[in-house]
Formats: sequence, structure tokens, C-alpha cells
Amino acid sequence: MSEAAAARGVGTVVTAAGLRKGYGSGERRVEVLRGLDLELPRGEMLAVVGPSGVGKSTLLHLLGLLDRPDAGRLELFDTDVETLAVEARAEWRNRRLGFVFQFHALLPEFSLEENVAMPLLIGGASRRAALERARELVAAVGLASRATHFPDELSGGEQQRGAVARALVARPELLLADEPTGNLDASAASALFDLLAQLHLSRGLTSVIVTHNEALASRCTRVLRLTGAAVGDGHA
Amino acid sequence: MGVLSLLAGRYLLGLRRRTHVAAVSAISFGAMALGAAALVVTLALLEGFQSTIRTQLAASGVHAELRPRIGRALPDGDWVARLRAAHPELEVRMVRGGAVWCLGPDSAVPADLEAVDTLSRVEVNRILAAELGAGVGTEVTIASPRLTLSPLGPLPLRRRVDVAAVGATQPGDERAVIRVPLQLGGELLGSTAPRAVDLRAHDPRRAWEVASDVQRDVPGGVEVVSFAELNRPLLAALALERVMIGFGVGLVMVVAALNLLCNLALLAAEKRADVAVLAAAGLAPSRVRRLFLLLGLGVGALGGILGTVLGAAAAALLERTHALPLPRGVFIVSHVPFRVTPGAVTVVLGVSLLAALLASLAPARAAARRDVLEGLRYE
Repeated sequence: MSEAAAARGVGTVVTAAGLRKGYGSGERRVEVLRGLDLELPRGEMLAVVGPSGVGKSTLLHLLGLLDRPDAGRLELFDTDVETLAVEARAEWRNRRLGFVFQFHALLPEFSLEENVAMPLLIGGASRRAALERARELVAAVGLASRATHFPDELSGGEQQRGAVARALVARPELLLADEPTGNLDASAASALFDLLAQLHLSRGLTSVIVTHNEALASRCTRVLRLTGAAVGDGHA
Repeated sequence: MGVLSLLAGRYLLGLRRRTHVAAVSAISFGAMALGAAALVVTLALLEGFQSTIRTQLAASGVHAELRPRIGRALPDGDWVARLRAAHPELEVRMVRGGAVWCLGPDSAVPADLEAVDTLSRVEVNRILAAELGAGVGTEVTIASPRLTLSPLGPLPLRRRVDVAAVGATQPGDERAVIRVPLQLGGELLGSTAPRAVDLRAHDPRRAWEVASDVQRDVPGGVEVVSFAELNRPLLAALALERVMIGFGVGLVMVVAALNLLCNLALLAAEKRADVAVLAAAGLAPSRVRRLFLLLGLGVGALGGILGTVLGAAAAALLERTHALPLPRGVFIVSHVPFRVTPGAVTVVLGVSLLAALLASLAPARAAARRDVLEGLRYE
């Protein structure tokens, strides 16, 4: 564990018990998560794998406070997230969580550094301070020379590295990545995963990464396999 | 508001990568500007015509009238003399009057005779001059209802006079009027008590203040009728005209606002993925709503300001160059007058902002309520 990780201390970041989530109603109802139990200690790098439609992204959305479970209990940082109001959930997403998505990596009207600075600007930081911090992160993901470029001037891999920088710019404790390498070729995917692993360690993160790529998943400290049946805690 | 201003500004001005949305935004902007310009020009045109009418009214008519509160005669005393002394800036005319017949070169017509103490010559107004076929220098016979005995029996008392001036007619006043000196009036009508005192300011621009200026200098039995009250029907018609035409042209702003609503709805749909990413980064729904309100107000405010400036400039140019002439003899002015007032500019800017705000409410609310996950799945 790195110094940064040590500074975070120990504890449980995610505690889920009997988590259920489904979509639709009546005969068209589809149960996606059926009583998921999960405990994620601080500093863990968890890969979530499984076939399509099994609820990997749904789990990520629940952990990211973008959706609410139908049943069960979900705690983040020892707080029952159901007690959080809409505004508080938004503030948590801004300050404590970082997201990387498969699509929509960057906003097209903004330069790379502006995209990276966006969470800080949303959090109320001054434009100058936000851009200064954003440039640090852009450099940390190896894109210093591309800081002022717009997304359509960047490759897919560069855009995803930019999205990683944006996810980390506000110093979150929990990083959530939904198929971050899904649109990349093998070598770009491997490079991005290397970057995620390195930042995970150096910044003392707790990470949850949804992926179809078993090779990449095996590089995480733990793998949660979703099968569609009721699942207990993930297993390596 | 920092990040919202940044986002709104970039969406409005930096839509280079979404050209169809940019084009529709430009159309919305143009529609708001056009609506504002049309409203400013229309209000300037109305104000131009109406101020001309008001000026004409003040230049030709009475600015205030003193009438008895009870009965047909003003109270006795030297209060009129004191009023004259206290207000040298006013022309004070004591009026006695009654109905007479006037016989001119072409015809005989009934008219109102006004005996004015400050008058030393005979004047007819334009209506009477037209009906009699008379002008300056024409001899007119005034027949009074008073009778005089003649060898043929009682006949109406008659006096021949020369018309010394043809006076202007107050807009809205359809009476045929002949004004004569007080002494001649007394001969024709007898020793009638004064029925009114007309007040006129030497400076017609002060017409509106005359009544309040003299209020404390008249006795209790005298009612002061102001310039506005004297011309109430005409002024009310002018005000109604302004409201109705302003409302009609204001519908252009409604159309522009509906266009803006469609544009914002399109923008909200187009940006659903971006909004979802921003929501994931911590932008609360209430701030998403404010973002789209800001976008709508941005288009409305900028369009309104541009349209107002262009409309005001066009109106000023038309007024300065007299670009729209009117047939002489038909209208009281030689060209279509335009007058831009600060009040009209304020109204147009306010209407622009209000229209933009109302048009933005529904799309902003829809954008704030849109499911974030739906946006993230949108590709």
C-alpha cells in the first residue's frame, strides 16, 4: 500500500446487503440484481465481470448514487445512502466519487483541460484554481501536450485518459469505471488499465471497474462475478 | 453561477461541433431580435404620431378650464384678476357664451358664440370657416336669439363682423365656434354671467401642469378641469390604441418565444448525454434547470438587446431622414414621425426577458427531470 493509500486509513467503503434492482413492471419485469451482498474495504480494486444484462452497470450506478435500489441496504463510507437528499447525493458524486464511462468521455465544446476541470468548477472552485489542478492531472495521465486540444482532436485512448483525469481531479475516494476500455483496441486498453492501476495505488483509491475483459479483470485485487442468480460477496 | 455561465456561454457561442443546433439557436436569436425590433419600431411610430397629436392639442386648445361647481355662473369677486396677477405665465380668458346663427357667403349655420374678455377681434374656428365658406377678411353676420323690435315686428338681433382670424380646432372638438370681444358678446347675448374661465400657458409644453398650478388660487365654488380631463376621450383613445397595437405586435414576441422553446427542447435532447456526464460529476438537477433557464435567457436577452438597438436605430434614422412622407393637406404632419422613448425601450427589453424566461421554463424543467441513466445510455 502506498503512502497515499496509508493516509486514507482503513475501513469499509461499500457495504451492500440484499441489494435488489429490476426494471419494468408486470410480466415485462426483469430482475437484474437479486439480493447482492458486497463489502468493499478501502484500497480494494474490484473488477465486476459477467455476461451482458446481468447488472454490472446497474451495480455501478447504484454505487455511484445515480440510481436507487428497489430493496436492500447500501452504505457508502458508513452512511446509508437512502438518507441522502438529491442535492447531497449530487455533492457526494462531486466530492467523493469519480466516474469513467465507456461513452461520452468528454464534453465536445470544451478543451481537454476544461473537461478535466469540470468537477472542480461544479464544486465551486475558481476557474484559475480548477484549471491549474486540471493541468496537473492532465500531465499525470500523460497528456500535457494535448491539454488545450478539443475532444475531436484526440484519439479514443486519449479521450479515455482524459476521462480518468477528470474522474480523479476532485480527489475522490471511490473510483467507478464502467467498461472504460470497451471502445479501445487491445494495446490502448492495456495502457489505460495500467494507468488506472497506477493511479489507484498512488492515490490510495478504492476502485470498482466493470469490464468484459477477463485478462484485465485478473489484474485487479478482487473479482466479482455476476451470473444473474442471487450472489454473495464476490470472490477472487 | 460560474460553471453554469461557462456551460451556457459555450453552448450558445461555441456550438461549432453541433451545427444544426447552432443554426436553430441562431434562428431563435434572430426571431427574438426581429420581434424586439418590430415592437420598438411600432411603439416609436405610435409615440411619434401620438406626441404629434398631443403637441397639436396643447398648441391649439385650452390647457385648463374653471367652471362653476354648482349652477351655470362663476362666483363673483375679483379672484380672476388676482389669478391673472399671480400667474403671468398664463393667458386667462373669461368666457361668456351662447348659441347663435352665423350667416356667411355660402350658408347659415348654428354656432357656439364665445365672448372672451381678452379678445379684440373676431375669430372663427376651422369648422365654422369651412361650413360658412369664410376666411380671413370675410364678412359674417351673427344672428342672436335676442329679439329687437322693427317695423316688421320682432327680429333677431344681428351684427355684421369681419373675420380677423381662423383659429385651430382642438382634436376631437366638432363644434363650430365663433369668438368675439366681450363687449360685442354682451350686445348679442345680453349681460350673461361668465360661464367659464379658460387658461392657457404661454408655453404649450406646460399644458399638463396648469390645473395643478392654479388649484390653490381659485375660490371654493370653482372647479378646475385639467388638460387631461378636458381631452379625456381623445387621450383615452390614444392610450387604448397604444395598448392594443403594442399587444398585437407583441404577439411576434410570443411566436419568437415559442421558437425559442422548441430550440431549447432540441438542445436539451441533443445534450442529454453531456448533461448526464455533468450530473455524474455532481451537477444537481436544480442547477441543470438553471443552466437551461440561463440558455433561454441568454438568447432572449441578447436577441432582445440587439433587436431593441436595431429597432431604435431604424426608427431614429427614419425620423431623421423623413424617409416616409405623407400627403400634404391630409395629415397634420409632412412625414411619418418616429419617437423612441426610454419607457418603450424598457418595455421591449422586459417583454423579451419575460418571453425568454417563460419559454425556457418547460425545457429547463424537462432537462432537470430527465433520467441521468437514460442520458448515459444515449449514443
